[in-house]
Amino acid sequence: MRWPSLKGRRLVSALLFAGAALIAGAVIGACTSDEDQQQAQAVEQQQAMQQQQQQDQPQAQVSGDPRGNTVQLVKDRGILKCGVKQTQPLFGFREPDGSVVGFDVDFCKAIAEALEVDLELIDASDASTRFELLANGNIDVLIRTTTITASRDRELGVDFAQTTFYTGQGFAVHAGAGINSTADMGGSTICVQSGTTTEQNLADHFTDLGLSYTPLGGSDQETQDAFLAGRCDVWTADQSNLASRIGVLENASDFVILGELISKEPLAPGVRDYDSEFKDVVNWVVHGLIAAEEMGINKANVAAMASNPPNTAVARLLGVPFEGGEVSTLGFDSVGAQFIQRALIAVGNYGEIYENNVGDAVPRACSLNALASEDKSNCPPGTGGIQYALPYR
Amino acid sequence: MSAQAQHSGDVPLFYRRGFRNVLQQAIYVAATAIVAWYVYTSLDLRDFGFGFLSEPAGFAVGSQWLTEVDGVTSSRLEIYLVGVWASLRAVMVAILLSTVVGVFIGVARLSSNFLLSKMATLFVEIFRNTPLLVQVVLWYAVLLVGAPVIQDVVNVGDFFFLSNRGIAIPWPVPSGGLWGVPDWFVGVWVLVLIAAALVAMRVRASRQEIERETGQPHYPNRWAFSIFAGAALISFLLLGVVVSIDRPILDGTQYAEGMVIKPEFAALVLGLTAYTGAFIAEIVRGSIQALPRGQTEAANAIGLSGYQRLTLIILPQALRQMIPSVTNQYLNVNKNSSLAYAVLYDDLFRVATVIQNKAGHALEMFFVIIVTYMIISFAISAVMNVFNARVTANRL
Repeated sequence: MRWPSLKGRRLVSALLFAGAALIAGAVIGACTSDEDQQQAQAVEQQQAMQQQQQQDQPQAQVSGDPRGNTVQLVKDRGILKCGVKQTQPLFGFREPDGSVVGFDVDFCKAIAEALEVDLELIDASDASTRFELLANGNIDVLIRTTTITASRDRELGVDFAQTTFYTGQGFAVHAGAGINSTADMGGSTICVQSGTTTEQNLADHFTDLGLSYTPLGGSDQETQDAFLAGRCDVWTADQSNLASRIGVLENASDFVILGELISKEPLAPGVRDYDSEFKDVVNWVVHGLIAAEEMGINKANVAAMASNPPNTAVARLLGVPFEGGEVSTLGFDSVGAQFIQRALIAVGNYGEIYENNVGDAVPRACSLNALASEDKSNCPPGTGGIQYALPYR
Repeated sequence: MSAQAQHSGDVPLFYRRGFRNVLQQAIYVAATAIVAWYVYTSLDLRDFGFGFLSEPAGFAVGSQWLTEVDGVTSSRLEIYLVGVWASLRAVMVAILLSTVVGVFIGVARLSSNFLLSKMATLFVEIFRNTPLLVQVVLWYAVLLVGAPVIQDVVNVGDFFFLSNRGIAIPWPVPSGGLWGVPDWFVGVWVLVLIAAALVAMRVRASRQEIERETGQPHYPNRWAFSIFAGAALISFLLLGVVVSIDRPILDGTQYAEGMVIKPEFAALVLGLTAYTGAFIAEIVRGSIQALPRGQTEAANAIGLSGYQRLTLIILPQALRQMIPSVTNQYLNVNKNSSLAYAVLYDDLFRVATVIQNKAGHALEMFFVIIVTYMIISFAISAVMNVFNARVTANRL
């Protein structure tokens, strides 16, 4: 073996040493600097949190209340920050002109009007960070096709208000395919979003039915493309999701969304835990809009109704005196007696919000979202609405 | 060495080779230990374990063949093995097809036929110079949107169907034995056939050898064929298995019977075949061109036909050059098969991702994935090394 000259060897070993030292230094540096950074970050976070608390909660510090009073916070700020989806047509969707519209967005508007503040829509399209946005105070209320579940309620620091939209896992098929229920789907190919509870519900449901099927798993968009191309007989997802994605297609009539649901997915606004005053406001705005529909108050006649209420219930809901009597705030002193009236003027009653946004895609009659008080004689057995306002008195 | 030893006494400690060796090793060990320690301490290994693989899967996969795993009663491990089997099928078919395509295109590039060689060049340049992911997704889009929907299925004599649900072709299936033997006897028969084929090849080789040495005809091909056919017939009668050709049937919107090649599988295999085929074509061309020109000229001089020149003189010699590079390409096929993820083919990576999505345990799952790919790669290497040893055993 021939060795390089002494000079060459020196150079080689010097390089080797330099490299080794560099690596060792980098590793040690990475370890320590990481810890330092973490510490620094923790200190910064603490400071920021303290500052934010000082800013956010000037007067409204209640004991046992880590976040304080959101109603007061929002009113002081003059802006309600509402987290909505921007990617789902009909529920929360960013139009080409930049405006964000949809069913969920209308509820944001209603709550903002009830609080007499401006509305700022924050993008909460990313499912994985939506609860963090709420917990961190980046948003005040999350209205983003979010299902109420026990684990979310307990573990994620979120409280849910009244359900705005009842849905469940549904099925879309090609028109004229002769599939009317999951019992007709034996042997069919089913497009399903992989890694979701939808996939598991599907497997369980077909095992219960004793039928076989061939799944084709992929992302939301991939399964949609495959179904529309005719690769699958059936496409399964939240029924509202199916409806909103099919509803915006030009050839929407080529597809049928079955009435059958195999899971419960009640979609509701989320607020932070330990803030019952704000939760009450959100809750009663939703109930108030449903109650208005039950009483026949809509965007067009709300002014007339307010100036001349036909009965005490309407007067109480709109926060106006009945035949010269007293006005009752029902304890909603922080937002004023007329908070439901303001919401109604802005967006109309529950039925109007529904019809304006999702009515064409998901027919309301006989769906879970129809009023419980409606006539169900035309509905198939086992269907019919369960929307029902709690008594506002 | 003596010169080294002589002045080792006056060389400073830092420049002595022995000291230097120890120091370098020590630094290397220390750096490795620091990195390992850092990784170990920054990972939360309290829940580390593979117990989650025995829990119920909770989801089903579509790309199954010869397996029926429903996803509800089966464990995560079983469904993962279904994914591994799906990967293996795609890899094996892609390796086979890309070799055929590669050899054909590689030889065609050297053809004196202008059109053929330019077409081959075009093929190589297109598929070698575009990303495989793009190709696979494009194939899938073409198969999904370009092929007719199942209602307008292309039916070739009730024998062959084409739609965007896949291609259905006839397929041999066991259909009861002569004496009521179970279906799995077919598997035994297949093994017997493989053994018979190996014996026949051995006999052929030895008779060729005798032919070469003695110059007398020993009919190697006839012998080989007779041995194989005889063994096949006798074992068929002994085992009593009946194989029938199952023609595909269209049942509503579903294919029934026959063999269905789904678009997900087809897109992946087409992508891998075209891409790898282009690389193998270049390896084939390079190996052929590396042969001395005299080989071709000599073959021409003794009056061999073009086909004989290729199969008797050129390819056997070029093979020795090709195999190591082609082995690399086969390993790439194995690794690139994970692009199944983009075309919804439930290969091992896709299934593992879903398991990990539902169960957590990302670290363990990636460990399993990596080990699986390594095992498949080692298996491919091992087979190719044996083949390489056989090809290079005789020195030219």
